[in-house]
Amino acid sequence: MRDIQRGRVVLAILVLISVTFILLDLRGSESGPLRPLRALGEAVLGPLERATATVVAPTTDFFRSLSQLGEKDARIAQLEAEQARLTAELETMEYDRDRARAVDELYGLVSANDYVTVPAQVIAVGPAQGFAWTVTIDAGQRDGVQRDMSVITGQGLVGRVVSAGPFTSTVVLIIDATSSVGGRLAGTSQIGIVSGTGRQDVLQMQLLDPLAPLDIDDVVVTFGSEGGRPYAPGIPIGRVSEIRGTQGQLTRMAVLQPWVDMSTLDIVGVVLQSSERNPREPLDGAPLPTASPSPSPTASPSPSPAATSSASPVPSPSATTLPSPAESATPAVP
Amino acid sequence: MMDVRRFILVGVLVVASVVIEVTVLAPLPFPGATPGLVLVVVAGIAFALGPVTGSAAGFSAGLLLDLAPPAAGTIGIGALTLTVVGYALGRVFESDDRPVILTTLLTAAAAALSVLAVAGLGGLLGNPRIRWDEVLSMVITSALYAALLALPLVPFIRALCRRVLPEAFPR
Repeated sequence: MRDIQRGRVVLAILVLISVTFILLDLRGSESGPLRPLRALGEAVLGPLERATATVVAPTTDFFRSLSQLGEKDARIAQLEAEQARLTAELETMEYDRDRARAVDELYGLVSANDYVTVPAQVIAVGPAQGFAWTVTIDAGQRDGVQRDMSVITGQGLVGRVVSAGPFTSTVVLIIDATSSVGGRLAGTSQIGIVSGTGRQDVLQMQLLDPLAPLDIDDVVVTFGSEGGRPYAPGIPIGRVSEIRGTQGQLTRMAVLQPWVDMSTLDIVGVVLQSSERNPREPLDGAPLPTASPSPSPTASPSPSPAATSSASPVPSPSATTLPSPAESATPAVP
Repeated sequence: MMDVRRFILVGVLVVASVVIEVTVLAPLPFPGATPGLVLVVVAGIAFALGPVTGSAAGFSAGLLLDLAPPAAGTIGIGALTLTVVGYALGRVFESDDRPVILTTLLTAAAAALSVLAVAGLGGLLGNPRIRWDEVLSMVITSALYAALLALPLVPFIRALCRRVLPEAFPR
């Protein structure tokens, strides 16, 4: 009887604490009173996750399997070890080649944009039943990563950093339902807001100009925010796969397919610094048909129609020289 | 002495399950929900050690899940859900007779209800991420995964507790 009462008291206390946490966190998760708790969780659990992710990586898998081989028959064990080593070497070579290709692609994007990035690996993912599309990467404040930096791969935009711990940071993917990115159509420079739907391969783009011409397979790149944060300009987001609403209707929606396959994220880059050159200004040496006043060099986060109309017909110097989406972006350039 | 060992055992199980769930299970492309290893471990602890330890383990595991990066939800929802799971499952068995079928089914039911509770609480509190068209498949798949995990894990955790804490098992 005493035990049952004790259980009820413990239950009541713990439920009360949980409800208090929920109420405190709802008051504001960024600046609220639970911010230190979150930071503590990130500082303590981040390195643990990082260590675990390292352990489960294929390379270390191989070493573990080697050490577990039996000792009874030395010769068989030796041969098996040799075979396991060679097989694993082959496999890790494949893996290394993939990683190298990912880094190369990243590098291509970086050199095209003059972005300074930190490479990082995805080490943890939020459970699906939380409905949040967030991942943890193994780069943090020690590597120069801060809140509100863009995260990219060689294919395009992945998301933005929402919190940076000392060794790890948390990234909200663009497909998350709370994410919205300023985007523009690469061919026409029309601007709109790209928001996540919570589905892995569907983004929605709300065009600001309902009369804007829009076609299937149009490429959408980031519009860019002030100082390149949270989103650096000129990064490919996705490709129009479906158009909802007819021309002239009050709300015109395009369904985009993101360039980046979010289910196989491995190596990503965090943009520390965007290019000094503003991609919204005319290309160097590119002849401009009209002498319209060029948009102010400081990027304004609010997409003003004036800036769009005077922007060069070329979407951005970056988008046209990018590796994979570039091919589809180039024909749109007059 | 026994409390220290109990504390350490529960702590190690809880921390390990949280880290494994977000770094190993969540990145794998399981259809529907991510297998709820944490919930199954809490269920195992509750079945083995009763409602007080069960609710404490549930609270700490839920809070860790709420805090472990890349968690983005409201802090406290996971803690609240798993506290209730740990308490309820700890109260089920008064005697020492615990058929595996029953513990497995109860764990699966707890997993389904906890997904519903998290989605419902999120919806009430205005979480824009909840997608109701996916909740049903999440509920079904999480119950299935929980049953598959509980089948070996619940007896394993019970054996582990019996070995580390023989005093807690007088019979």
